[in-house]
Amino acid sequence: MTTTQFSRTVDLDPNRNVPGTPQPGFGHALRAEWIKFWSVRSTFWSTAMLFVLGAGLTVLVCATSAAWLASEEADESPLSFVTWGLMLAQITAIVLGTLVVTSEYGTGMIRATLAATPRRGSVLAAKAIVLSGTLFVVGTITAFAGYFGGNFFLDREGIGVSLGDEGVLRAMFGSGLYVAGLGLFAAAVGFLIRHTAAALSVVLALVFVVGNMAFLLPGTWGEWTAKLMPGNAGAGVATPVSFNPDLLDPWAGFAVFAGEIAVLTVVAWATFRRRDA
Amino acid sequence: MITAQRLTKIYGDKPAVDGISFTVEPGRVTGFLGPNGAGKSTTMRMILGLDRPTSGSVTVNGRRYADYPAPLREVGALLEARALHPGRSARDHLRWLAASNGVPRVRVDEVLGLVGLESVADKRVGKFSLGMGQRLGIAVALLGDPPVVVLDEPVNGLDPEGIRWVRTLARQLAGEGRTVFVSSHLMSEMALTAEHLVVVGRGRILADCSMSEFIADHAASYVRVASPQRGEVADLLRRQGLDVGVHEEELRVQGLDAAAIGELVGKSGLLLHELTLVRSSLEDAFMTLTADSVEYHATTAAGIPA
Repeated sequence: MTTTQFSRTVDLDPNRNVPGTPQPGFGHALRAEWIKFWSVRSTFWSTAMLFVLGAGLTVLVCATSAAWLASEEADESPLSFVTWGLMLAQITAIVLGTLVVTSEYGTGMIRATLAATPRRGSVLAAKAIVLSGTLFVVGTITAFAGYFGGNFFLDREGIGVSLGDEGVLRAMFGSGLYVAGLGLFAAAVGFLIRHTAAALSVVLALVFVVGNMAFLLPGTWGEWTAKLMPGNAGAGVATPVSFNPDLLDPWAGFAVFAGEIAVLTVVAWATFRRRDA
Repeated sequence: MITAQRLTKIYGDKPAVDGISFTVEPGRVTGFLGPNGAGKSTTMRMILGLDRPTSGSVTVNGRRYADYPAPLREVGALLEARALHPGRSARDHLRWLAASNGVPRVRVDEVLGLVGLESVADKRVGKFSLGMGQRLGIAVALLGDPPVVVLDEPVNGLDPEGIRWVRTLARQLAGEGRTVFVSSHLMSEMALTAEHLVVVGRGRILADCSMSEFIADHAASYVRVASPQRGEVADLLRRQGLDVGVHEEELRVQGLDAAAIGELVGKSGLLLHELTLVRSSLEDAFMTLTADSVEYHATTAAGIPA
């Protein structure tokens, strides 16, 4: 059905339509999310802080701990230190993941987004790809920068770590995977809760507070609960040797983490699809 | 053309939009008028597929909004609440919208020029005045050069020059053959812009007619009669079965036009000092109409079933 068929009084100029792609697809939704993502300052600040904290703290801690690590008193492996900064830097990934969704609800932008792309699954998928892709790249670069900087000091004490050592290269890319996963986790919670402060509190509490307190739970049941908490399950892949000996194997843990993200994302999608904007 | 059929939206157990059916035709400006809380914005959100109707349907040129692959090319909308991120520039806001619907980038500069925002295009919209925000909203609506334009309270926050600009723009768009649907809670604004009216109150349609029909049906008119022989004139007219009210120095007569009243009074040899047709304003008509709907609901709220 065309408009002109109804225009009894006046006809629209047939050349009125702006040129371009009349049948945009998922690529257009992705491009739109990409422009949105990089045109607010919170993205730059979050990713910059991820790098500064992640790489910077790793270098700082390696520099200050190298002598002790090389001494006889050392009871930790230098391999636990080459991605140290990520312990704090992961917060920025959670912040970014939350904001990508909740800032749209807070400002009313979500209505513009859904008016432009009514297929809600496409909106969610495009956001997820832009967010996780960016975090994976920034997280991996951060891990490498931290490793090269930190290893300089470890090398000076003769305890240098090689990229070929077991788990080191895995931890570099694992850092990217872990922050990407955290971002997605936070974004999914954002779709469910829609309020920045509430969503942020829930994710930070779950990953940092509840995750650590779960280790205090008694018995096998408690031990498994702790191991399966998202932050605990997912973080193992991001470090060659974890400080925490009770974690799952890196890849097994990451598989659990990915499963949790997938379930949460499906729930978020089902909710988002039905809810009024 | 926008077609709503028994469109209903219920929040909790309160109907915001209560089974309304209407058609917005192309080629003219249709005003969507009602007091705050009448269901205007809810209806507009349902047109844009943002809210799901509880029942009924609304289509744009025969299709649901959400079924269009590039909806911004079919329907341009200015939403009431500013759907903007305050940290993004006007140009970036338009850029992502253009990208999402495959609209070429040159169109972004084109609409920025059209609404007069070129000079502030790279400023963050959080620093915009209400009026600049409305202009950007209109730029968004025009981005895809759509045959259907939906404007929710477009003159909010605009200065007189801006108001006149929106009015001219709405008429111009309709003149090009587009469907133009403009909501407002200001009758006076609608009177100058719209040719057709859909009036809602408490989620129901109170009137769906042309502006002139609306005036004829709802704006009460009377003939003002002034005479040194006021008492006699009043008696004469009452004997003819006319409704005569006495207000200070004048009579207000309903039921006959000025010429006929003049002849009647003249034949009886009485003197007349004034004979004027007085039409109450559209604002009054609107108030009368919506006051009825408020009263009606006040009654139902008191326990009498609707």
